[in-house]
Amino acid sequence: MIFFLITMKTNFKSKSQINHKIKKTPQSKDNFKNLSKQEFEEFVSNTGAAGSFMIFRSKKKIDELGLDNL
Amino acid sequence: MQSRGYINTLENILNKIHLDNSYENWIHNFSLNLNDIWKEKSASDLIQFIKNKQSDSAIVIGAGPSLIKHNHLELLSKSNYQGTIICTDRILAPALKAGVTPDKFNKFYVITIDTAQIIKNFYKDKIIKKYANRINGIFTTVNHPDTISVARNLGIKIHWVHALIDYDEGKKSFNQMSALMVRAKKPKGLPAIQTGGNVGTSAWFIAWRILKCKIVCLIGIDHSWSENDSWHSMARHCNVPINMNKKSQIFTQLFPRVYNPEFDTICILDPIFQYYSNAFKDFIHRSSSKVKTINATQGGCIFGKAIKCVSFKDFLITYPK
Repeated sequence: MIFFLITMKTNFKSKSQINHKIKKTPQSKDNFKNLSKQEFEEFVSNTGAAGSFMIFRSKKKIDELGLDNL
Repeated sequence: MQSRGYINTLENILNKIHLDNSYENWIHNFSLNLNDIWKEKSASDLIQFIKNKQSDSAIVIGAGPSLIKHNHLELLSKSNYQGTIICTDRILAPALKAGVTPDKFNKFYVITIDTAQIIKNFYKDKIIKKYANRINGIFTTVNHPDTISVARNLGIKIHWVHALIDYDEGKKSFNQMSALMVRAKKPKGLPAIQTGGNVGTSAWFIAWRILKCKIVCLIGIDHSWSENDSWHSMARHCNVPINMNKKSQIFTQLFPRVYNPEFDTICILDPIFQYYSNAFKDFIHRSSSKVKTINATQGGCIFGKAIKCVSFKDFLITYPK
């Protein structure tokens, strides 16, 4: 089992991830591949973290920049 | 930069948490505010107020750690800057104490976005009363009534905006129904702003959408942690377990270290700062034909397309008004 985990980790370790520890190296371009989407969603949802307010998104992209009168 | 899929997923999760946890509070706050919304001014009225003394530029002051690190408040207080000052609520009292006051800068605004009751404490510092009647406050219709009441009682002039939440869901959305209620006694309605999830992004939108400034400078808008900040602070900010394995894959993903090539600095993001900063950079890029955004924070993660990064000292020399 331990061997399996180590192997898995190695398989998922991208070049950008290794460089991540080096100063002045931009972050990985695709960190999301490290975890399954479900694992990630579960973890973040369980924290209940939210911030101050929500971000408004719309199919009509121009509305996302605000409305003069509502 | 993270992949679009990751960014969208994070945003969707945090938006859902907001709706699940806060939607009823927003309606509650709006109901209690409605009578005051009817009686008090719209943020649109500020446009007439500023018509004769409109600034070319605005400085948005956030409460990020760079503000103290680089003595930006002191630098500003000693400058001859003649433009607009927009304080985020948390930094109002420290700014006044540092000499950034409406006596020196007569186009002076404060903004609150967070709807929690505890935000009223930002307005409880004694120094605010001294300057309050020369400060224009901008509040959303869903801010906690106690916060607005504290500001109002000090003498801050209240101006209202809608915060965009669910406008695109049609006539039955909270945004559209609450707007109808406001219009029952205020036929022109109110402007509706994109908050971007935080007060710093909201202040940037207020600067160009409502106050019509063509240039917006950011200071104290780090949207990230510095390398010297404690893990306890980071964990508390985004509610992750304090004993989280720092060698795990999810840790690397949630707390990426980012090199800012513009200022040659390193910062650390957390899930909430990723949520804020990804959207903010998107909005800056999409609005670049209407507003020039200058980041003079001298650190943090707000850099990239359509964002000019300069030292704050250089900004004050180049853009004196």
